[in-house]
Amino acid sequence: MEYVASLLVLIGLYVILASSFNLIIGFGGLISIAHPIFFALGAYTVGVLSTQFGLHPVPSIAAGFVVAMLASFMLSLPSLRISGDYLLITSIGFQLGLLEIIKNLDFVGGASGLGGIPNVVQQHRSLVFAAVALGLAVAVVLSLRALVRGPYGRAIQAMRDDELAFLALGRNAMNIKIAIFAVGSGLAGVAGGLYAYYYQYLTPDQFQILQSAMILTMVVVGGMGSVYGPVVGAVLLLLLPEAITFLNLPSSVMGPLQGVIFTSLVILFLFLRPQGLVPSSKRLSAGGSHE
Amino acid sequence: MKQIRRNMVVALALAATCMGWTAAASAQAAKEPLKFGLAMPLTGSQALFGADQAKAAQWAVQDINAKGGVDGHPLEMILLDTQADPRLGINAVNRLVSVDKVPVFGTAWSAVVKAVAPIANRSQVLGLSVGANSPEIAKLGDYIYTTYPLADVDVVAQARHARETLKKERAAVLYIHNDSGVEGAKIYREAFESLGGKVVAYEAYDAQSTDYTGALLKVRTSNPDIIHVQGLVSDLPQVIAQLRQLGLKQPISTYSAGYNPKVVQQLGAAAEGLLVSALAPSAEQNAEIAEFVERWKKTEGRIPNGLPYTQYLYDMPYLIADLYSHLLKAGKPLTGVNMRQALVDVGTFELPMTGKLVVGADHRVKKPVYLFEVKNGKFEPVATVD
Amino acid sequence: MLDFQTLLQIFWTGLANSTYAVLLAAAFALVLKVVKVWNFAQAGLMGIAYYTMYLAIQKLGWPGYAALALGAGAAIVAALAMEVFGLQTFRRRHSPPLTFFIFTLVISEFVQYVLAMVAGTEPVSLAATIMSASYIVGGVVVSEWDLKAIAATVVLMALLFVVMKRTRHGQYMIAAADNPHLSRLYGVNVRRVYALTFVLAAVLIAAAMYLFGTRASMVPNTPLEMMLFAVIAALLGGMGNVFGAAVAAVFLGLLRAFSILVIPSAWQSLILYALLFITILFFPQGVRIAPRVRKKPAAGPASAGA
Repeated sequence: MEYVASLLVLIGLYVILASSFNLIIGFGGLISIAHPIFFALGAYTVGVLSTQFGLHPVPSIAAGFVVAMLASFMLSLPSLRISGDYLLITSIGFQLGLLEIIKNLDFVGGASGLGGIPNVVQQHRSLVFAAVALGLAVAVVLSLRALVRGPYGRAIQAMRDDELAFLALGRNAMNIKIAIFAVGSGLAGVAGGLYAYYYQYLTPDQFQILQSAMILTMVVVGGMGSVYGPVVGAVLLLLLPEAITFLNLPSSVMGPLQGVIFTSLVILFLFLRPQGLVPSSKRLSAGGSHE
Repeated sequence: MKQIRRNMVVALALAATCMGWTAAASAQAAKEPLKFGLAMPLTGSQALFGADQAKAAQWAVQDINAKGGVDGHPLEMILLDTQADPRLGINAVNRLVSVDKVPVFGTAWSAVVKAVAPIANRSQVLGLSVGANSPEIAKLGDYIYTTYPLADVDVVAQARHARETLKKERAAVLYIHNDSGVEGAKIYREAFESLGGKVVAYEAYDAQSTDYTGALLKVRTSNPDIIHVQGLVSDLPQVIAQLRQLGLKQPISTYSAGYNPKVVQQLGAAAEGLLVSALAPSAEQNAEIAEFVERWKKTEGRIPNGLPYTQYLYDMPYLIADLYSHLLKAGKPLTGVNMRQALVDVGTFELPMTGKLVVGADHRVKKPVYLFEVKNGKFEPVATVD
Repeated sequence: MLDFQTLLQIFWTGLANSTYAVLLAAAFALVLKVVKVWNFAQAGLMGIAYYTMYLAIQKLGWPGYAALALGAGAAIVAALAMEVFGLQTFRRRHSPPLTFFIFTLVISEFVQYVLAMVAGTEPVSLAATIMSASYIVGGVVVSEWDLKAIAATVVLMALLFVVMKRTRHGQYMIAAADNPHLSRLYGVNVRRVYALTFVLAAVLIAAAMYLFGTRASMVPNTPLEMMLFAVIAALLGGMGNVFGAAVAAVFLGLLRAFSILVIPSAWQSLILYALLFITILFFPQGVRIAPRVRKKPAAGPASAGA
């Protein structure tokens, strides 16, 4: 069914987004909320390349990856050199600033959005997209798992748990942070490219802070600092609202009531499992016993 | 323990889904219901309009069914929430098209219409845009038709009125910095200048700010004869209030967002002389509309937000009923392809609230624009521009 | 365009319009400083205060001050409920900081939907009319609302200053902000301090929403959008600095207002965000010279006032 396939595409995309965000924030301990802007950059890169230059999807999405990654340097290099804490502030400015720029540039459609992205799959469109999205999602999750369990992963955790000791041992924290940030953002860019091809229409409003909050909620509810946590979070927070819309509520309160039900459930999850639905196997949460 | 909890959640979600599907399946009537979809913002910042418009459509469905439906078949509307967000709109339309299998659906808000257009075209389901006014809607593909005149109808009418009737030479344009503001402002400027006028100020204001002093002062220094504001109903009163407080006395014109008694109420005396355009006649001009407004007052205790839009939404089920009736008479299967063909074949519709509608081959509709001016706290008609 | 009168006008209305932002930024910064939580539930509290006051004024016909008290009361109750039933639970379970953040955010969304269900989604204003009497002073338009707003904000911030710096409870607050563990050892009831913090924040919020509502109208969505400004101001002011946040809010408001003179209006928001980005690069300690609040407990012995 087309509808199920479209949900699967969304799940695939958000698993990639949540996992890559978890890499940055859960494993790397880099508190940035600018993830959606890299999602946007990948999407807009694909949008421009496909509408203006008619480029083939694979190099377009690869270009989206590269653009998102390069943009992440623009954010991480200046901010991380100062201090990790201020990354949050600069990330807000970065995300919203770039979105304002996009809103004002005519060649990416401005506030009205970029439409007319060509359809690149003619047969069994939704199934193909679902397969690609899910396939990429699986690949991303497995790669992250391999990364985390390998020596590099241990280095990342050591850096996040006690940066002072890490530095004292002569390891270069800065390079690792920048690398994590770049990889995570690049993956978001890939998701963006796929998103552009599937929905064929982009507006800057889809990548605002609300989107940051949604992805962050997926990571936190699913379990920050665990590999499968974001997967559970993404699936749950995407399917739950859809399931609620099937409840046939009276239409006068249908809209807000759906929202009430959904947010109540999320709050319930937070109470039942504040560490996330999937526990992190090792002590991966930053800072340990904060208030 | 956590396994049990997790299973509970999954079970809950599945149960909800099953409940929904069985509920839908068990709603049987004697003759098979004729379905169509409606995707509107029922939550979010646009819900004040979307919810009222959805209600108007529902009333129409009830009224049609009370009179026997379409050749004895009841009309059934499937309503989904979009929050005026393109992504949710796509979700909703996907649902309508592949789960509910409707051959026709209605939606509004330009960003949503643009986003769902590819789905309508790919699945060959007729998509009706009712209320969105971006001029690009006419070019979104074979299966997207608007039943509401696009911005280049009413904004142009305002510009023409300012230039030709009021003989204004210098216009200032203020617009909200989002897609509808940007597009509307551009149309006004092009129209005004093509008629020989001069646009002396062209300032945007941010959707989130409440202090427009800087932009307004720029407008003041440019010395216009008339100020056109392309904003939304939430910021329009503030903009006009600040314009007046800063000492600007020029006439102010706006498009249908200003045609709302709340605006007049909040501005008090400062609303005098405000020129608004509407794409549907008012209650004074059409008795059926007066009845409609009365019905609102009785059931909701107020008048609808965006009255003209609700009129168009009330008419939408009637239009769809006409399409269904046409297909049933011709004995053709009720598919999206045939729906679209029916729209093209029938072409002209007589609708209860908005009168005659002619759907053009260019996917546009032309309607007269009704201009009103606020006099003594009420909207008085001043002109009708064709 | 750059004549003195114009500049003065922009300055005046910019200042007046930053008043509610000042109160909101101060409330957010206060909770951040003492309770160490990014309190995005503030948006929910804003909504509750606003709609309670709307109910009182438009439906029950109460006068302004009574409505304000009711609004503050509602916000206080909601804030305390969240603190006692929500945040304390998470604290007991040693949840990661981001859980608090997400919790407060989802609470705001929940409140927003409930308000939409109960009060509908029409824009509602607290005043019967948003036009207030205005006078021309030296060529500059001064409205009554401007004067009331500035006066109210100055008074409230002064009171806050007195409470924080001169009363015992205020000193407990600062102690708990610097080092909750040590403060407990000295006999400070940290939970009560947190409760008091929320009470103060709720009062500021109710006042801010009253000012906003007598000038503009709002839908349930609006508070979340307004939060961004408060957060940015709190961050720019220095993460432990309530009055720094207040000053930053004024500064940002004026910056936005004046930016129209140099850049096309369409780019106004960009200036704000670009500023955020650049400021931190050149002023990493925050624009106000404020002590950086350490986020992780230091590996060595805990030291008050580090």
